[in-house]
Amino acid sequence: MSADADADALVEPEAPLLQLSGVTAAYGRIQVLHGVDLVVPRGEVVALLGPNGAGKTTTLLVATGQHPASSGCIHVAGRHVNGAKPEALARLGLCTIPEGRGVFRSLTVRENLRMASYRGTDESLLVERAVARFPRLGERLGQVAGTLSGGEQQMLAMARGLATDPALLIIDELSMGLAPLIVAELYELVAGIAEQGVSILVVEQFARTVLGVADRAVIMQHGHVVAAGVPADLEAELSAAYLGASS
Amino acid sequence: MTEPTSSTSAAARLEAGVADLHVPEPKADAEALLLKLGLALPVLGVVLILVAWWNAAGTKYVADQMPMLISGGLFGLALIIVGLGLFLRFSLARLLRFWLARLVLEQQAQTDRIVDALAKVEAAASQNRQ
Repeated sequence: MSADADADALVEPEAPLLQLSGVTAAYGRIQVLHGVDLVVPRGEVVALLGPNGAGKTTTLLVATGQHPASSGCIHVAGRHVNGAKPEALARLGLCTIPEGRGVFRSLTVRENLRMASYRGTDESLLVERAVARFPRLGERLGQVAGTLSGGEQQMLAMARGLATDPALLIIDELSMGLAPLIVAELYELVAGIAEQGVSILVVEQFARTVLGVADRAVIMQHGHVVAAGVPADLEAELSAAYLGASS
Repeated sequence: MTEPTSSTSAAARLEAGVADLHVPEPKADAEALLLKLGLALPVLGVVLILVAWWNAAGTKYVADQMPMLISGGLFGLALIIVGLGLFLRFSLARLLRFWLARLVLEQQAQTDRIVDALAKVEAAASQNRQ
């Protein structure tokens, strides 16, 4: 082996943006996560899939510091962060778009975007970026967010999240309550965001919709990771997880 | 629109920020608190004894002096003993931990030196063979 090859071998690979190792978590006495392993490499879209009650949202809550892990390790950019405050992680660039979108329904679209200016970004710049990404929001800037369609509310939530220039975007159940056509449209937008280099972790119950844009997928069932890999290799496991059929 | 460089810088910013992030360590935090308590309790105990002595000295009636002796003197003494125990326990633990870490570091440095020396010997031997 040459000296250069030796040097290359010694260069440490970049730590993934998010890594969960053997994470367990519980609500009171009820344990819901049983040793979850999950890796979100830089610049990739990872889909966290599984049927209702599999522990996907709890995994997301644990990863973002909103729920304590009973055991196991949570690493963000290579640093052990168990017990770190969720607001500190969010400030550093872990942006969560929660299930149900989390928009302020009684505020207008512009006012919702203004809520994302807490990091010191100028409001006009935020609006400009949001409209460039989601032109439909430009037509609705003065409209109260509660009167937007579900898809538009999801766009608003994403625009608000992206306005903070996150390193990792975590989206929980993007498709909830939306028509399949709208979901497909939203996932095209997600793919566009991913192309710009933002790492994305998508928690999704409806697997087929997200697999088209995901680089990797992880399937959960009853609080365990039952399969992980590239989407093309997970067809059999998906059926087993959702339908209970043996693969 | 956000350019790829922006996401790269966001990842770099996350990496830099997370290195400075305060991550609570319950055991270490509790240990530091108990060490501080070990310093504070003896001081409080001495103050209590002084107050008790001051009050007891101000009266010639034994019936009035007894409560001072018990609540001030004995309780103060108990605080001093408990506080000193805590202080000794956790300052010794800290000292021993530091000592152990230093031993490990020195051992590591010694091993590195041996590895370097062996590499030099190996290089010299291969030169001689040629």
